[in-house]
Amino acid sequence: MRQLFSQLISFPYFFKLAQISFPYIFIISIFVILLGVLWGVFFSPPDATQGEVYRIIYIHVPAASVAQSIYYTMVVASISYLIWRIKMASVFMISMAPLGALFTFLALFTGAVWGQPTWGTWWVWDARLTSTLILLILYLAIISLFSSFDRRDSTDQAVSIIVLIGGINLPIIKLSVEWWNTLHQSASITLSGSSIDNEMLIPLLISILGFYIYVTAIGMRRMQIEIIKREISHNWVKTIFQEKR
Amino acid sequence: MRNFYLKTFQRDSRVYLSRSSSFLGPIVFFLITITLYPLAFGSDEEQLAELAAGIIWISILLANLLSHQFIFNEDYKDGSLDLVLTSGKSLFLWASIKIFVNWYFSSLPLIFLSIFTSFMLYLPFDAALILAITLFLGTPILSMFGALAGALTLERGNIVGSSIVIPLCLPALILGILAIQSYENEEVFFYIFLLAAFLFFSIPILIASCLGAIKLHFE
Repeated sequence: MRQLFSQLISFPYFFKLAQISFPYIFIISIFVILLGVLWGVFFSPPDATQGEVYRIIYIHVPAASVAQSIYYTMVVASISYLIWRIKMASVFMISMAPLGALFTFLALFTGAVWGQPTWGTWWVWDARLTSTLILLILYLAIISLFSSFDRRDSTDQAVSIIVLIGGINLPIIKLSVEWWNTLHQSASITLSGSSIDNEMLIPLLISILGFYIYVTAIGMRRMQIEIIKREISHNWVKTIFQEKR
Repeated sequence: MRNFYLKTFQRDSRVYLSRSSSFLGPIVFFLITITLYPLAFGSDEEQLAELAAGIIWISILLANLLSHQFIFNEDYKDGSLDLVLTSGKSLFLWASIKIFVNWYFSSLPLIFLSIFTSFMLYLPFDAALILAITLFLGTPILSMFGALAGALTLERGNIVGSSIVIPLCLPALILGILAIQSYENEEVFFYIFLLAAFLFFSIPILIASCLGAIKLHFE
Protein backbone atom coordinates (compact mmCIF):
# COMPACT_ATOMS: atom_id res chain seq x y z
CA MET A 1 0.00 0.00 0.00
CA ARG A 2 2.74 2.38 1.02
CA GLN A 3 4.74 1.45 -2.02
CA LEU A 4 1.77 1.97 -4.30
CA PHE A 5 1.26 5.42 -2.83
CA SER A 6 4.89 6.42 -3.24
CA GLN A 7 4.75 5.25 -6.84
CA LEU A 8 1.60 7.27 -7.48
CA ILE A 9 3.16 10.49 -6.25
CA SER A 10 6.27 10.10 -8.37
CA PHE A 11 5.98 12.17 -11.52
CA PRO A 12 7.17 9.68 -14.19
CA TYR A 13 5.07 6.82 -12.84
CA PHE A 14 1.92 8.90 -12.59
CA PHE A 15 2.51 10.34 -16.04
CA LYS A 16 2.72 6.90 -17.63
CA LEU A 17 -0.28 5.62 -15.67
CA ALA A 18 -2.35 8.63 -16.72
CA GLN A 19 -1.16 8.30 -20.30
CA ILE A 20 -2.40 4.70 -20.47
CA SER A 21 -5.63 5.07 -18.51
CA PHE A 22 -6.85 8.47 -19.71
CA PRO A 23 -8.64 7.33 -22.91
CA TYR A 24 -10.52 4.58 -21.09
CA ILE A 25 -11.63 6.75 -18.18
CA PHE A 26 -12.62 9.56 -20.55
CA ILE A 27 -14.72 7.31 -22.78
CA ILE A 28 -16.36 5.66 -19.75
CA SER A 29 -17.20 9.08 -18.30
CA ILE A 30 -18.79 10.31 -21.55
CA PHE A 31 -20.78 7.09 -21.75
CA VAL A 32 -22.00 7.32 -18.14
CA ILE A 33 -22.90 11.02 -18.44
CA LEU A 34 -24.82 10.36 -21.66
CA LEU A 35 -26.60 7.43 -20.02
CA GLY A 36 -27.59 9.48 -16.97
CA VAL A 37 -28.60 12.64 -18.83
CA LEU A 38 -30.42 10.93 -21.70
CA TRP A 39 -32.27 8.65 -19.28
CA GLY A 40 -33.17 11.65 -17.19
CA VAL A 41 -34.29 13.80 -20.10
CA PHE A 42 -36.22 11.23 -22.16
CA PHE A 43 -37.33 8.40 -19.91
CA SER A 44 -37.95 9.70 -16.39
CA PRO A 45 -41.40 11.07 -15.54
CA PRO A 46 -42.08 14.84 -15.44
CA ASP A 47 -42.16 16.50 -12.03
CA ALA A 48 -45.54 16.95 -10.35
CA THR A 49 -45.15 20.67 -9.69
CA GLN A 50 -42.41 21.83 -12.04
CA GLY A 51 -43.29 19.80 -15.14
CA GLU A 52 -40.53 19.28 -17.69
CA VAL A 53 -38.38 22.17 -16.53
CA TYR A 54 -36.90 20.23 -13.63
CA ARG A 55 -34.86 18.08 -16.03
CA ILE A 56 -31.96 20.52 -15.85
CA ILE A 57 -31.39 18.91 -12.45
CA TYR A 58 -29.42 16.21 -14.28
CA ILE A 59 -26.71 18.77 -15.03
CA HIS A 60 -27.22 21.27 -12.21
CA VAL A 61 -26.89 18.93 -9.24
CA PRO A 62 -23.87 16.96 -10.55
CA ALA A 63 -22.05 20.19 -11.41
CA ALA A 64 -22.73 21.70 -7.99
CA SER A 65 -21.69 18.50 -6.26
CA VAL A 66 -18.46 18.22 -8.25
CA ALA A 67 -17.68 21.91 -7.71
CA GLN A 68 -17.75 21.48 -3.93
CA SER A 69 -16.00 18.13 -3.89
CA ILE A 70 -13.08 19.54 -5.88
CA TYR A 71 -12.57 22.17 -3.20
CA TYR A 72 -12.53 19.63 -0.41
CA THR A 73 -10.07 17.39 -2.25
CA MET A 74 -7.92 20.48 -2.76
CA VAL A 75 -7.98 21.07 0.99
CA VAL A 76 -6.74 17.52 1.57
CA ALA A 77 -4.02 18.11 -1.03
CA SER A 78 -3.00 21.40 0.61
CA ILE A 79 -2.63 19.69 3.98
CA SER A 80 -0.49 16.95 2.48
CA TYR A 81 1.62 19.55 0.71
CA LEU A 82 2.14 21.65 3.82
CA ILE A 83 2.98 18.69 6.06
CA TRP A 84 4.76 16.17 3.84
CA ARG A 85 5.87 18.44 0.98
CA ILE A 86 4.35 16.09 -1.58
CA LYS A 87 4.90 17.85 -4.88
CA MET A 88 2.13 15.91 -6.54
CA ALA A 89 -0.31 17.55 -4.12
CA SER A 90 0.56 21.01 -5.41
CA VAL A 91 0.30 19.78 -9.00
CA PHE A 92 -3.14 18.49 -8.07
CA MET A 93 -4.26 21.81 -6.56
CA ILE A 94 -3.03 23.88 -9.46
CA SER A 95 -4.63 21.59 -12.03
CA MET A 96 -7.96 21.25 -10.25
CA ALA A 97 -8.65 24.87 -9.31
CA PRO A 98 -9.65 25.97 -12.85
CA LEU A 99 -11.85 22.87 -13.16
CA GLY A 100 -13.50 23.75 -9.88
CA ALA A 101 -14.13 27.29 -11.07
CA LEU A 102 -15.60 25.93 -14.31
CA PHE A 103 -18.02 23.58 -12.58
CA THR A 104 -19.02 26.21 -10.03
CA PHE A 105 -19.83 28.51 -12.91
CA LEU A 106 -21.78 25.73 -14.64
CA ALA A 107 -23.76 25.11 -11.45
CA LEU A 108 -24.57 28.82 -11.12
CA PHE A 109 -25.48 29.12 -14.79
CA THR A 110 -27.77 26.08 -14.90
CA GLY A 111 -29.23 27.24 -11.59
CA ALA A 112 -30.08 30.60 -13.15
CA VAL A 113 -31.67 28.92 -16.17
CA TRP A 114 -33.68 26.71 -13.81
CA GLY A 115 -34.61 29.56 -11.51
CA GLN A 116 -36.08 31.72 -14.27
CA PRO A 117 -39.18 29.53 -14.94
CA THR A 118 -39.61 28.17 -11.40
CA TRP A 119 -38.79 31.10 -9.12
CA GLY A 120 -39.48 33.72 -11.77
CA THR A 121 -36.02 35.27 -11.54
CA TRP A 122 -32.52 34.53 -12.75
CA TRP A 123 -30.88 35.24 -9.44
CA VAL A 124 -31.89 35.54 -5.80
CA TRP A 125 -29.65 36.37 -2.87
CA ASP A 126 -30.38 33.08 -1.22
CA ALA A 127 -27.99 31.31 1.12
CA ARG A 128 -26.88 28.53 -1.15
CA LEU A 129 -26.57 30.66 -4.26
CA THR A 130 -24.55 33.20 -2.35
CA SER A 131 -22.18 30.66 -0.88
CA THR A 132 -21.72 29.08 -4.31
CA LEU A 133 -20.91 32.52 -5.69
CA ILE A 134 -18.37 32.97 -2.91
CA LEU A 135 -16.91 29.58 -3.79
CA LEU A 136 -16.52 30.77 -7.39
CA ILE A 137 -14.81 33.96 -6.22
CA LEU A 138 -12.52 31.91 -4.01
CA TYR A 139 -11.56 29.67 -6.92
CA LEU A 140 -10.84 32.69 -9.10
CA ALA A 141 -8.79 34.30 -6.33
CA ILE A 142 -6.73 31.12 -5.99
CA ILE A 143 -6.17 31.04 -9.75
CA SER A 144 -5.07 34.68 -9.65
CA LEU A 145 -2.40 33.70 -7.11
CA PHE A 146 -0.76 31.34 -9.61
CA SER A 147 1.13 34.08 -11.37
CA SER A 148 1.98 36.39 -8.48
CA PHE A 149 5.25 34.70 -7.53
CA ASP A 150 8.45 34.24 -9.41
CA ARG A 151 9.41 30.94 -7.84
CA ARG A 152 7.52 27.70 -8.21
CA ASP A 153 7.83 26.71 -4.53
CA SER A 154 6.48 30.03 -3.30
CA THR A 155 3.46 29.72 -5.56
CA ASP A 156 2.76 26.20 -4.35
CA GLN A 157 3.02 27.17 -0.73
CA ALA A 158 0.98 30.34 -1.08
CA VAL A 159 -1.74 28.46 -2.92
CA SER A 160 -1.85 25.72 -0.31
CA ILE A 161 -2.02 28.21 2.56
CA ILE A 162 -4.95 30.01 0.95
CA VAL A 163 -6.69 26.75 0.04
CA LEU A 164 -6.33 25.54 3.62
CA ILE A 165 -7.57 28.78 5.19
CA GLY A 166 -10.43 28.79 2.71
CA GLY A 167 -11.22 25.19 3.60
CA ILE A 168 -11.41 26.01 7.29
CA ASN A 169 -13.44 29.08 6.49
CA LEU A 170 -15.86 27.66 3.95
CA PRO A 171 -18.15 25.87 6.48
CA ILE A 172 -18.18 29.05 8.58
CA ILE A 173 -19.09 31.14 5.54
CA LYS A 174 -21.84 28.67 4.67
CA LEU A 175 -23.31 28.76 8.18
CA SER A 176 -23.21 32.53 8.42
CA VAL A 177 -24.74 32.95 5.00
CA GLU A 178 -27.48 30.53 5.99
CA TRP A 179 -28.33 32.61 9.04
CA TRP A 180 -28.34 35.58 6.77
CA ASN A 181 -30.96 34.30 4.34
CA THR A 182 -32.54 31.11 3.12
CA LEU A 183 -34.97 30.26 0.32
CA HIS A 184 -33.47 27.30 -1.53
CA GLN A 185 -35.01 23.87 -1.02
CA SER A 186 -33.06 21.93 1.55
CA ALA A 187 -30.79 19.11 0.41
CA SER A 188 -32.88 16.38 -1.20
CA ILE A 189 -30.29 13.62 -1.10
CA THR A 190 -28.69 12.81 2.24
CA LEU A 191 -26.92 9.72 3.47
CA SER A 192 -30.00 8.61 5.40
CA GLY A 193 -32.38 8.72 2.47
CA SER A 194 -33.81 10.73 -0.35
CA SER A 195 -36.99 12.69 -0.99
CA ILE A 196 -36.75 12.16 -4.74
CA ASP A 197 -38.64 9.38 -6.47
CA ASN A 198 -36.47 6.45 -7.54
CA GLU A 199 -37.27 6.89 -11.21
CA MET A 200 -35.68 10.34 -11.07
CA LEU A 201 -33.05 9.50 -8.50
CA ILE A 202 -31.34 6.68 -10.39
CA PRO A 203 -30.53 8.70 -13.54
CA LEU A 204 -29.48 11.59 -11.31
CA LEU A 205 -27.06 9.39 -9.40
CA ILE A 206 -25.71 7.96 -12.67
CA SER A 207 -25.21 11.48 -13.97
CA ILE A 208 -23.41 12.52 -10.76
CA LEU A 209 -21.16 9.46 -11.05
CA GLY A 210 -20.46 10.33 -14.69
CA PHE A 211 -19.48 13.89 -13.78
CA TYR A 212 -17.08 12.60 -11.14
CA ILE A 213 -15.43 10.19 -13.59
CA TYR A 214 -15.21 12.99 -16.15
CA VAL A 215 -13.49 15.29 -13.66
CA THR A 216 -11.09 12.48 -12.80
CA ALA A 217 -10.17 12.04 -16.44
CA ILE A 218 -9.78 15.74 -17.25
CA GLY A 219 -8.00 16.32 -13.95
CA MET A 220 -5.48 13.60 -14.81
CA ARG A 221 -4.90 15.19 -18.18
CA ARG A 222 -4.38 18.63 -16.66
CA MET A 223 -2.00 17.16 -14.08
CA GLN A 224 0.01 15.59 -16.88
CA ILE A 225 0.35 18.98 -18.56
CA GLU A 226 1.36 20.60 -15.28
CA ILE A 227 3.95 17.87 -14.67
CA ILE A 228 5.47 18.40 -18.11
CA LYS A 229 5.65 22.14 -17.47
CA ARG A 230 7.59 21.55 -14.27
CA GLU A 231 9.82 18.73 -15.40
CA ILE A 232 10.52 19.96 -18.91
CA SER A 233 14.27 19.87 -18.38
CA HIS A 234 14.33 16.34 -16.96
CA ASN A 235 15.46 13.42 -18.98
CA TRP A 236 12.38 11.25 -18.61
CA VAL A 237 10.20 13.91 -20.24
CA LYS A 238 12.64 14.23 -23.12
CA THR A 239 12.69 10.47 -23.69
CA ILE A 240 8.90 10.33 -23.77
CA PHE A 241 8.72 12.94 -26.48
CA GLN A 242 11.54 11.38 -28.43
CA GLU A 243 9.71 8.04 -28.36
CA LYS A 244 6.66 9.78 -29.81
CA ARG A 245 8.67 11.06 -32.72
CA MET B 1 14.10 38.55 25.60
CA ARG B 2 11.25 40.81 26.62
CA ASN B 3 13.20 43.76 25.46
CA PHE B 4 13.02 42.65 21.87
CA TYR B 5 9.22 42.56 21.80
CA LEU B 6 8.92 45.82 23.67
CA LYS B 7 11.27 47.45 21.21
CA THR B 8 9.32 46.08 18.25
CA PHE B 9 6.23 47.64 19.77
CA GLN B 10 7.89 51.00 20.37
CA ARG B 11 9.58 51.12 17.00
CA ASP B 12 6.44 50.28 15.06
CA SER B 13 4.42 52.81 17.04
CA ARG B 14 6.98 55.49 16.27
CA VAL B 15 6.91 54.63 12.59
CA TYR B 16 3.14 55.02 12.54
CA LEU B 17 3.19 58.28 14.47
CA SER B 18 5.93 59.82 12.39
CA ARG B 19 4.25 59.13 9.08
CA SER B 20 0.94 60.89 8.72
CA SER B 21 0.00 58.87 5.65
CA SER B 22 -0.04 55.57 7.50
CA PHE B 23 -2.62 56.50 10.09
CA LEU B 24 -4.41 59.33 8.29
CA GLY B 25 -4.74 57.29 5.09
CA PRO B 26 -7.37 54.88 6.41
CA ILE B 27 -9.26 57.72 8.13
CA VAL B 28 -9.46 59.77 4.95
CA PHE B 29 -10.46 56.70 2.96
CA PHE B 30 -13.14 55.81 5.51
CA LEU B 31 -14.62 59.30 5.64
CA ILE B 32 -14.71 59.74 1.88
CA THR B 33 -16.35 56.33 1.39
CA ILE B 34 -18.97 57.18 4.01
CA THR B 35 -19.66 60.44 2.18
CA LEU B 36 -20.04 58.68 -1.14
CA TYR B 37 -23.04 56.62 -0.02
CA PRO B 38 -25.46 59.48 0.76
CA LEU B 39 -24.30 61.21 -2.42
CA ALA B 40 -25.10 58.10 -4.43
CA PHE B 41 -28.29 56.93 -2.67
CA GLY B 42 -29.78 60.27 -1.69
CA SER B 43 -30.15 61.79 1.74
CA ASP B 44 -33.44 60.14 2.68
CA GLU B 45 -33.31 59.65 6.43
CA GLU B 46 -35.09 56.30 6.72
CA GLN B 47 -33.24 54.74 3.83
CA LEU B 48 -29.86 55.83 5.20
CA ALA B 49 -30.71 54.55 8.68
CA GLU B 50 -31.50 51.18 7.14
CA LEU B 51 -28.25 51.08 5.19
CA ALA B 52 -26.04 52.70 7.84
CA ALA B 53 -24.64 49.58 9.50
CA GLY B 54 -23.76 48.01 6.16
CA ILE B 55 -22.21 51.23 4.85
CA ILE B 56 -19.93 51.59 7.86
CA TRP B 57 -18.93 47.93 7.92
CA ILE B 58 -18.11 47.84 4.20
CA SER B 59 -16.13 51.08 4.39
CA ILE B 60 -14.11 49.79 7.33
CA LEU B 61 -13.51 46.46 5.64
CA LEU B 62 -12.17 48.13 2.50
CA ALA B 63 -10.12 50.70 4.43
CA ASN B 64 -8.61 47.90 6.49
CA LEU B 65 -7.67 45.63 3.66
CA LEU B 66 -6.08 48.45 1.73
CA SER B 67 -3.94 49.64 4.63
CA HIS B 68 -2.93 46.37 6.25
CA GLN B 69 -1.15 45.09 3.19
CA PHE B 70 2.02 46.81 4.26
CA ILE B 71 2.49 45.44 7.78
CA PHE B 72 5.49 43.32 6.84
CA ASN B 73 6.38 45.05 3.61
CA GLU B 74 8.93 47.58 4.89
CA ASP B 75 10.69 45.11 7.13
CA TYR B 76 11.02 42.91 4.10
CA LYS B 77 12.44 45.69 1.95
CA ASP B 78 15.06 46.93 4.42
CA GLY B 79 16.11 43.40 5.32
CA SER B 80 15.18 43.42 9.00
CA LEU B 81 12.65 40.65 8.41
CA ASP B 82 15.56 38.42 7.52
CA LEU B 83 17.26 39.14 10.83
CA VAL B 84 14.11 38.54 12.86
CA LEU B 85 13.54 35.20 11.16
CA THR B 86 17.06 34.02 11.99
CA SER B 87 17.12 35.50 15.50
CA GLY B 88 15.36 32.55 17.16
CA LYS B 89 12.84 34.77 18.94
CA SER B 90 9.18 33.79 19.14
CA LEU B 91 7.92 34.79 15.74
CA PHE B 92 4.32 34.27 16.79
CA LEU B 93 4.58 36.93 19.47
CA TRP B 94 6.50 39.22 17.15
CA ALA B 95 3.87 38.98 14.40
CA SER B 96 1.06 39.45 16.93
CA ILE B 97 2.70 42.65 18.16
CA LYS B 98 3.14 43.99 14.66
CA ILE B 99 -0.48 43.24 13.78
CA PHE B 100 -1.67 44.73 17.08
CA VAL B 101 0.21 47.98 16.52
CA ASN B 102 -1.23 48.19 13.05
CA TRP B 103 -4.73 47.60 14.39
CA TYR B 104 -4.18 50.16 17.13
CA PHE B 105 -3.20 52.91 14.74
CA SER B 106 -5.43 52.23 11.76
CA SER B 107 -8.55 50.49 13.08
CA LEU B 108 -9.09 51.97 16.52
CA PRO B 109 -9.48 55.53 15.19
CA LEU B 110 -11.99 54.21 12.68
CA ILE B 111 -14.02 52.55 15.42
CA PHE B 112 -14.32 55.85 17.30
CA LEU B 113 -15.09 57.68 14.09
CA SER B 114 -17.75 55.12 13.22
CA ILE B 115 -19.78 56.19 16.26
CA PHE B 116 -19.88 59.75 14.94
CA THR B 117 -20.57 58.69 11.38
CA SER B 118 -23.39 56.42 12.56
CA PHE B 119 -25.14 59.54 13.87
CA MET B 120 -24.57 61.21 10.54
CA LEU B 121 -26.28 58.24 8.91
CA TYR B 122 -29.21 58.38 11.42
CA LEU B 123 -28.46 55.03 13.04
CA PRO B 124 -30.26 54.73 16.43
CA PHE B 125 -27.99 55.13 19.46
CA ASP B 126 -28.40 51.55 20.74
CA ALA B 127 -27.58 50.17 17.32
CA ALA B 128 -24.52 52.44 17.18
CA LEU B 129 -23.28 50.91 20.44
CA ILE B 130 -23.72 47.41 19.06
CA LEU B 131 -21.96 48.56 15.91
CA ALA B 132 -18.97 49.70 17.98
CA ILE B 133 -18.87 46.36 19.82
CA THR B 134 -19.01 44.34 16.62
CA LEU B 135 -16.30 46.52 15.13
CA PHE B 136 -14.12 45.95 18.20
CA LEU B 137 -14.45 42.21 17.67
CA GLY B 138 -14.42 42.29 13.90
CA THR B 139 -11.59 44.62 12.96
CA PRO B 140 -8.84 42.44 14.49
CA ILE B 141 -10.06 39.65 12.21
CA LEU B 142 -9.81 41.98 9.24
CA SER B 143 -6.35 43.09 10.37
CA MET B 144 -5.14 39.52 10.54
CA PHE B 145 -6.57 38.69 7.13
CA GLY B 146 -5.01 41.86 5.76
CA ALA B 147 -1.68 40.86 7.28
CA LEU B 148 -2.01 37.46 5.63
CA ALA B 149 -2.69 39.11 2.28
CA GLY B 150 0.31 41.37 2.75
CA ALA B 151 2.53 38.49 3.79
CA LEU B 152 1.51 36.45 0.77
CA THR B 153 2.30 39.19 -1.71
CA LEU B 154 5.36 40.74 -0.05
CA GLU B 155 7.28 41.21 -3.26
CA ARG B 156 4.55 42.84 -5.27
CA GLY B 157 2.16 44.28 -2.71
CA ASN B 158 -0.55 44.21 -5.34
CA ILE B 159 -4.32 44.18 -5.28
CA VAL B 160 -4.40 40.39 -5.68
CA GLY B 161 -3.74 39.93 -1.96
CA SER B 162 -6.74 41.97 -0.86
CA SER B 163 -9.12 40.36 -3.30
CA ILE B 164 -8.08 36.93 -2.05
CA VAL B 165 -8.90 37.61 1.56
CA ILE B 166 -12.15 39.55 1.16
CA PRO B 167 -14.24 36.40 0.59
CA LEU B 168 -12.61 34.87 3.66
CA CYS B 169 -13.61 37.84 5.85
CA LEU B 170 -17.29 37.51 4.98
CA PRO B 171 -18.39 35.71 8.19
CA ALA B 172 -17.16 38.69 10.23
CA LEU B 173 -19.16 41.10 8.08
CA ILE B 174 -22.31 38.97 8.10
CA LEU B 175 -22.24 38.32 11.84
CA GLY B 176 -21.56 41.99 12.57
CA ILE B 177 -24.45 43.14 10.40
CA LEU B 178 -26.80 40.50 11.83
CA ALA B 179 -25.95 41.63 15.35
CA ILE B 180 -26.72 45.26 14.52
CA GLN B 181 -29.96 44.39 12.74
CA SER B 182 -31.22 42.46 15.76
CA TYR B 183 -30.12 45.08 18.28
CA GLU B 184 -33.60 45.29 19.77
CA ASN B 185 -34.01 41.65 20.77
CA GLU B 186 -31.91 39.08 22.57
CA GLU B 187 -30.47 37.43 19.50
CA VAL B 188 -27.89 40.18 19.43
CA PHE B 189 -25.83 38.36 22.08
CA PHE B 190 -25.90 35.20 20.01
CA TYR B 191 -24.30 36.96 17.05
CA ILE B 192 -21.84 38.92 19.18
CA PHE B 193 -20.65 35.75 20.90
CA LEU B 194 -20.33 34.03 17.53
CA LEU B 195 -18.25 36.93 16.27
CA ALA B 196 -16.06 36.68 19.36
CA ALA B 197 -15.71 32.95 18.78
CA PHE B 198 -14.69 33.60 15.19
CA LEU B 199 -12.10 36.11 16.41
CA PHE B 200 -10.49 33.79 18.96
CA PHE B 201 -10.65 30.90 16.53
CA SER B 202 -8.85 32.93 13.86
CA ILE B 203 -6.03 34.29 16.02
CA PRO B 204 -3.82 31.17 16.16
CA ILE B 205 -4.68 29.97 12.66
CA LEU B 206 -4.23 33.27 10.88
CA ILE B 207 -1.05 34.36 12.64
CA ALA B 208 0.51 30.96 12.08
CA SER B 209 -0.37 31.10 8.40
CA CYS B 210 0.98 34.66 8.22
CA LEU B 211 4.32 33.32 9.43
CA GLY B 212 4.14 30.48 6.94
CA ALA B 213 3.49 32.99 4.18
CA ILE B 214 6.41 35.16 5.26
CA LYS B 215 8.80 32.23 5.44
CA LEU B 216 8.06 31.15 1.91
CA HIS B 217 9.79 34.28 0.66
CA PHE B 218 13.03 33.17 2.28
CA GLU B 219 13.20 29.48 1.43
